Amino acid sequence: MSKKSRSKLWFLVHSWLALPIWFFVLIVCVTGTLAVVSQEIVWLANPDMRASKPSDDAPLLSYDQVIAAIKQAQPLTQVLSIARPDESHFALEAKVTYPDGRPDTVYVNPYSGVIQGSAPAFNFRGFTRALHGWWLVPFTNGYSWGWYLVSLLGLPLLASLVTGLVVYKRFWKGFFRPTLRIRHGARIFWGDFHRLSGIWSIWFIAVISITGTWFLVEAVLSDNQISISSAPVIPVVARESVPLSTDGLAPQQLSLDRAIEIAQQRIPGLDASFVSLPGNAYSHLEIGGRGWYPLMFQTATINPYNGDVAASRLLSDRTPLEFVTESMRPLHTGDFGGLWIKLIWFFFGLVLSMMVLSGLLIWTKRTALATANAFKRSQKPPREARITQALQPSVHRESSEGSV
Amino acid sequence: MNPSNTASSPSRLSLFWHKWRFHLNVLLLLIPLGFMPKYFSEAALFRGDTGLGEREIGEVQVGPWSLRLAEFRNEAPRPDGPAGHMKHFNAALYQRCIGEVKATYLRIGKPRSLRAAGVIFFGSPYRMGALLPVPQKTPLDAELWITLEGWDGSMHQAAIPLSQASPATIAWLKTQGAQP
Repeated sequence: MSKKSRSKLWFLVHSWLALPIWFFVLIVCVTGTLAVVSQEIVWLANPDMRASKPSDDAPLLSYDQVIAAIKQAQPLTQVLSIARPDESHFALEAKVTYPDGRPDTVYVNPYSGVIQGSAPAFNFRGFTRALHGWWLVPFTNGYSWGWYLVSLLGLPLLASLVTGLVVYKRFWKGFFRPTLRIRHGARIFWGDFHRLSGIWSIWFIAVISITGTWFLVEAVLSDNQISISSAPVIPVVARESVPLSTDGLAPQQLSLDRAIEIAQQRIPGLDASFVSLPGNAYSHLEIGGRGWYPLMFQTATINPYNGDVAASRLLSDRTPLEFVTESMRPLHTGDFGGLWIKLIWFFFGLVLSMMVLSGLLIWTKRTALATANAFKRSQKPPREARITQALQPSVHRESSEGSV
Repeated sequence: MNPSNTASSPSRLSLFWHKWRFHLNVLLLLIPLGFMPKYFSEAALFRGDTGLGEREIGEVQVGPWSLRLAEFRNEAPRPDGPAGHMKHFNAALYQRCIGEVKATYLRIGKPRSLRAAGVIFFGSPYRMGALLPVPQKTPLDAELWITLEGWDGSMHQAAIPLSQASPATIAWLKTQGAQP
């Protein structure tokens, strides 16, 4: 095969990868982009979710103080867990249950302990994630087929990146000589745009496609009951270590702040960003947070009666394989380093969405052009057609280059 | 690319196909649109808008205590990998006994001892859940046993027919070839 026809083949593969499903790919990109900042969008829309400081030097309440504040405001409400979002301008999120049996998530001010409000009935964050993640197809037995549908896109995306770089000869030159011709018509503009945004998004497309493909692998493994986890199964609290009470009422449990101290002794540098209270008399208290490696959580599982650490899951407990696989999700969502990382992911998400759109526009423009040319050729005598061709050098240089 | 070149006399259908083939994937949007009502009804179920679950079984008196029991979903047990089929029940303890009850268990058939009381409920006493394994060979006249353990060391039990607890499970067992 000649070099020219080989590059033409690569080019054909590149153009056909997303084309037949361009709209599906576009919506998955757009919903993914929205999902990255969904929490921030809700924050903008809902003042209850904001952690306004009563004064500049107001200290953060401890978890025990937060529980006490909730108990004081709503004595009968049961708290299941409290999470402190990564970004300090977010209120604490507490999962609670009311006496009428209704579960709820409430936003609690981390400085005053005031319950600022309940999560709205429409969960925008959950909805965008469900739409992006599994196309709203419910999970009934293992992974939903919508999950497979979306995560399969990781493969053509990865192939688009590779073929795109192959057909874009000497793409690295684009870094030094960025070209975006605005006055040469839509076809040239979208071609330049596609190439320019493509080379600056190489890293992002690689991250999204590889992590997306991992979600596919993860589903296949899980649906075939293959586990790569090295996490031990933690037995329930032994019957013997749950104290009996003489008065027939539940014994005192460990305070949360004491439990966090114990956890921090076990996991140096632990920033306790969530606590999960025991789910019943025989279950443990769980405390977790990020350590030096922001992509993973470390947790300590603590006996709520005597403070024994039943289990801990540190960074060092992970196998090298788990280090990679557990980093996949935060890498995909951009949720590991606060607002700025999310904004970078959001921006490149938009760029990727535009690349799908510009790819389609280039294709339709070129097809329209090719059709028009073919039409002209069939209408005019051959000699004249050659002259017409010669008169349109720029157009033909573009299409013969075959590097869009 | 050009239909007039590929087919000598293109039919209306092939013209339509060539014009719209790359836009037909817009129809994939019908999938999430179709599942949207289901998504929102699931969200409402998890939010507790329908109470403890889709089907309330009612109040069960267990010794000095009592609880409300519900099927989370009014449907057959769901397959859960090698664990077999699982049925999700929710329960709520009455306010006056919350302080005294240490644990709540659920089992098909009478437990031999407290240590074999079945699956334990998780969650707040106002709304706790348990995933009960339902073997495919469960007899249709099986009973669902509820065991409550007190902080004082006491144990109380009660049973209701499985047919009362979950008619959907009985219907499913019939399809699995269960004998009455």
